[in-house]
Amino acid sequence: MAEEFWRWSETSWRNPDLEGWQKGTLTAGVDIGSTSTQAVLLSDKRLVAYASIRTGANSKDSAHNAMRKVFDLTGLRQEDIAFTVGTGYGRVNVPFADKTITEITCHAKGAHYIYGSTVRTILDMGGQDCKAIHCDETGRVVSFMMNDKCAAGTGRGMEVIADLLGVPIEEIGERSLQVEKDPPPITSQCVVFAKTEVGHLMREGWTKEQVLAAYCEAMAERVARLLRQNEMVEDFAITGGIAKNIGVVKRIERLMHVKALQSDYDSQIAGALGGAVLGYDLLQRRKKRARKTE
Amino acid sequence: MKPTIAIDNAYIESWKQKGGKVVGTVCCHIPEEIIHAAGMLPVRIRGTECTDDRDGELWMTDYACGFCRACLQNLISGKYHFLDGIVVSDGCMFVQRLYDNWKVIGNTKCKVNLNVPRNHDHLAVRYFVDELKILKEEMEKLSGREITDEALNASIDLYNETRALIRELFSLTKGEHPLVSGTETLQWTIKAMSMPKEIYNQELKAFIEEAKGREPITGYGARLMMIGSAVDDPDYVHIFEEHGGLIVTDYNCYGTRYLWQDVTRKEGETPLESIARSYLEKLTCPRMTDLHDEMYEDMLRLAKEFDVDGIVYVRLKNCCLWGGESVFFYDRFKEDGYPVLTLEKEEITTNAGQVGVRAEAFVEMLEGGTD
Repeated sequence: MAEEFWRWSETSWRNPDLEGWQKGTLTAGVDIGSTSTQAVLLSDKRLVAYASIRTGANSKDSAHNAMRKVFDLTGLRQEDIAFTVGTGYGRVNVPFADKTITEITCHAKGAHYIYGSTVRTILDMGGQDCKAIHCDETGRVVSFMMNDKCAAGTGRGMEVIADLLGVPIEEIGERSLQVEKDPPPITSQCVVFAKTEVGHLMREGWTKEQVLAAYCEAMAERVARLLRQNEMVEDFAITGGIAKNIGVVKRIERLMHVKALQSDYDSQIAGALGGAVLGYDLLQRRKKRARKTE
Repeated sequence: MKPTIAIDNAYIESWKQKGGKVVGTVCCHIPEEIIHAAGMLPVRIRGTECTDDRDGELWMTDYACGFCRACLQNLISGKYHFLDGIVVSDGCMFVQRLYDNWKVIGNTKCKVNLNVPRNHDHLAVRYFVDELKILKEEMEKLSGREITDEALNASIDLYNETRALIRELFSLTKGEHPLVSGTETLQWTIKAMSMPKEIYNQELKAFIEEAKGREPITGYGARLMMIGSAVDDPDYVHIFEEHGGLIVTDYNCYGTRYLWQDVTRKEGETPLESIARSYLEKLTCPRMTDLHDEMYEDMLRLAKEFDVDGIVYVRLKNCCLWGGESVFFYDRFKEDGYPVLTLEKEEITTNAGQVGVRAEAFVEMLEGGTD
């Protein structure tokens, strides 16, 4: 079987600093994207655990699998969760969700949680779409712009290039920076045509690093256009899988003349995390309403 | 949702069976009253029901907007087999090209290209009157009937009745308890373009009475106004209403911009002069020369009147009119407190899911929360 360079590592994590949790305050967010699925668990708005896995052929199974990983880490069960929000393109396929909320709203809330109240512009670079989101100091969306015409400028496009060049996807960012001078960007918008162009450049004698630099530059230019079309206000943060690609991030920073905020959190969990935060807020509101009617 | 009236419908069949003639129109700047006064049935050409525009693309290339390609496809494929004539304005570049292609390949007896001025000063009105005289002559030739001033006045009265009813229909979306949805208002304006007005007015009157007795629409998250390129597909509007929005008004040439402002009469004017002036004064469109401020004021007035929370700006891919118009309204709407969602549209909707995500996120944004 041929080596698959596109395969990024699935992850799961449990907060070692959190001793226990209050059952009535446990909320979950499940983000089913086109390429990856995340489940995040909060207790009283504090991060308990999360899992990030590849989305399979069946969205419902992906939701269950991601949650199962979280449960394996915590010993919790579905019935312990007070409120679950489903988000992402597969949000309607989270069978145990109490509410669905779009990934745009969730990413803004998740980025607000991760990066704090100063974040105003969020670029979410997902598997098959890109979103530029402008939010206020509470993480509420003020405006957004979305581009999902095709895989160009997204994680899936990067996966295709990883396989084509035989470079593990986690190494692409670093290697794209190992060039003396950035070559001109790949001109094709379409991943299929970009593949042809990459083949041509390799035959011309370009190194893999040069080709990766050209591809990362093209991706950065495309998303920079999206950012300019919406509203670019600092502080700026990037979420989604491509946020882990330092080659793309550095180039976006250069093109937009900004520095992206840094965090120890996994950038891919922002959507699910936002869902869990919103789930918590909704739970509190419902409890308040119930108290009022008592 | 209830089905939208078909292009080839029972009203047209009945009209044809009685020996009546049917004239297709493209663009809302064509005064249907003149066609009606000749005893013929005007119907507006639309791109709906087209699921594959290969012939339209073959003739017009994919450089043309999908709406015009789909309209041409519907003409070529025979969906409009009942047409005896066609009147096309120079509404935009691709509508003009639609006429050009139909002129070469079309099988209708009569083909008229109406030149509509791009301004509404007195010189433009005078010019438009001359153009309407040509249209009148063509319609007289096609129908074999003289169009008298008396007939024109009767048509103006009938059409003004339709306009009043359409305004009343839209008024049912106002207030805290709206009674009709944007999907329904668009279905009704499209129906107005697809059948005899005499019957339509009776049916719309009955619908309005029925709607007044309905339970109000509840559970929506935001009142929206849809502006931009031609949207002739109620299913597209329905996507927004399935995702928490309610389209309470529009600035769409298949919606409010079709029959809204009356044809008014001034002392000493002939009916043709009244029609020419009123049509040029009607809600503007980016085809007009440098009337962007007027157009913005019109849109803002509607937004206020219908108490909208946000604007959905739909631009058809390659739309030469609305494609770049946002430069004149985007920031102004925001300054006036109306967030704008921009969407690029193809005539044949294949991305309902993607549109739905944007619609839902926009409603969530306008709600300021999620519950």
